[in-house]
Amino acid sequence: MTAPAAVAAPTKPTPDPDRADRPSRAPGSHPVQRNLGRTVAYVLLLLYAVVSAYPFAWMVSGAFKDSKEILSGGHLIPHRPTLSTLVQTWNQLHFLRYFGNSLIITVCTTAGVLLFYSMAGYAFAVLRFPGRRLLYGAFVSLLFVPGITVLLPLVILQSDLGILGSRIGLILPFINGTAPLSIMLLTNSFRAVPGELRESARCDGAGELRTFWSIHLPAVRPALVTIALLTAIPTWNEYVLSRVSLNDPSSYTLPLGLQNLSSSASPQQNVLMAASLIIVVPVVVLFLLLQRYFVNGLAGAVKG
Amino acid sequence: MATPENLDTTARPRRPATLRSQRVKEALTGYGFVLPAVALFALMGVYTIIYGLLLSFARWNGFTPHWTWVGVGNYLDLLYRDPVIAPVVQSAALRTVVVMVAVPALAVAIGFPLAVLLNSITRLRGFFRTVFFLPYVTAGIAVFYAWTYVLQPDGSLNYVLRHLGLGTLAQPQGFLGNPSTALPTLIVVMAWSAIPVAMLLYLTGLQSIDSSVLDAARTDGAGTLRTMTAVVWPLLRPITAAVVMLNMRDALQGFQIFLVMTNGGPGGHTTVLGLESYNLAFFSGLRPTLGLASALGWLLFVVALILAAINVRVLRSRT
Repeated sequence: MTAPAAVAAPTKPTPDPDRADRPSRAPGSHPVQRNLGRTVAYVLLLLYAVVSAYPFAWMVSGAFKDSKEILSGGHLIPHRPTLSTLVQTWNQLHFLRYFGNSLIITVCTTAGVLLFYSMAGYAFAVLRFPGRRLLYGAFVSLLFVPGITVLLPLVILQSDLGILGSRIGLILPFINGTAPLSIMLLTNSFRAVPGELRESARCDGAGELRTFWSIHLPAVRPALVTIALLTAIPTWNEYVLSRVSLNDPSSYTLPLGLQNLSSSASPQQNVLMAASLIIVVPVVVLFLLLQRYFVNGLAGAVKG
Repeated sequence: MATPENLDTTARPRRPATLRSQRVKEALTGYGFVLPAVALFALMGVYTIIYGLLLSFARWNGFTPHWTWVGVGNYLDLLYRDPVIAPVVQSAALRTVVVMVAVPALAVAIGFPLAVLLNSITRLRGFFRTVFFLPYVTAGIAVFYAWTYVLQPDGSLNYVLRHLGLGTLAQPQGFLGNPSTALPTLIVVMAWSAIPVAMLLYLTGLQSIDSSVLDAARTDGAGTLRTMTAVVWPLLRPITAAVVMLNMRDALQGFQIFLVMTNGGPGGHTTVLGLESYNLAFFSGLRPTLGLASALGWLLFVVALILAAINVRVLRSRT
């Protein structure tokens, strides 16, 4: 439910920051002055990089300390780095099960979002039917409904439907939570697909479903990857709705497993940091692999 | 096969029946394509919103079979009438406003210069952007626990401050344990996770500025600082509006960081409206506070709508 918000406005494809790189000239005519300016820029950027990475550095540091060393204070590099904390944390707390729960929920939510909202986006962008503007507007205005406003009714609804505490009980609201952003992004992407493609496909006798699947869907692949990332990352990290929905520890996701660890009688920081690292690493790897899509898509989504 | 537009002008007089059946077919296909999304939206969106609105006019503890209708009573209780809840709500509202001002201000004040710096370098740009983006990618309970670990009494921040000779700034109770530093600390952590998106937006904005504009400014003898404040900053005003709007919205509704890092403590000094609504909804036992929780959620909704309306106006008046 923490999908990155967007300003409600149609999105345009954004220029690729990497390709649009334009080395801007440093000020001042004198080379010494120019070099000085550049050095200052690098120093400031490096300083903020330290701030940006600060908690991760300590998370990693804590995860590789044993329970004695974690108490002995503030050194970043462990004197006796150990893998035992990570292994122990993984084994002792059903982390494999939590990991599996998180993975299933994230994958199903992402798949549902891609299927439902690429269909809807296609209809809004390409097909003509009465009421489509109204429907589109309704989806976009969902953006302004605070999560907390519907949190309690959602839990009551889950309970009424008999899906409270189940995976599907989380997946359905997670999918719906990304609706405004996904529909906006995908509708705009489908609009950018040349209409002639559809015409010629129809002339060749392709039905609507076929045209959608084999002409339009491949054409908006970058947007689909962006949406997948914008869905998967917040879903993986989601905590609030999971916490009020899931009761049975066997259905916990990773964030709840972590929370459960911290509320035990004497939580140890090295164990908490190891568990945090286990949660964070898959997301960071995913981000590093697909960074290009993510950065461009996010800029496109929020810019509007 | 022609588009419906073409058929409108050329083919209608000759083949009305075919045209109509085509239109009907396209409309039906359209409804078919939006059906899954709409069905889910009706259930998880429309139904829950209306349910919440109705509940905000009732008193209920979640267990009794019937609601007791109280009209606007819940809203009055929250705003001024209830001697226990109203003061809590008022101070939480004050804190929420502080967060709504401070976090966007920090996001702009740090995000903009950071984007300018990042745009001015050629080497290592990708590296810096990746590192700067980590806070956004991992935003969630894991990173908030890492912050809690760093900020605790024997945490690394106190240690680093003492070793830098800034021991007076260290917090023996921990940055989250001291009532006067807890809220500012949370604001800094919120800004820390908001800065990546702000920076990215400014970066795309900077790259869309025509270089001839900057060259012209330079030819006129404007230095870097002057070019930034007099040319670039006004050009990027729509982006600033977007950054402010996004962060105000998140500050208004978001309470996860408060829930995870302090749970409103110490002594209620970091309770914000979202967290208060959450506690009324889920942690008040058998007391009939579910209507109050819904009413508070709806008050937040109304404020969010007002903010959105203001934002649309600001954007329109400036572009």
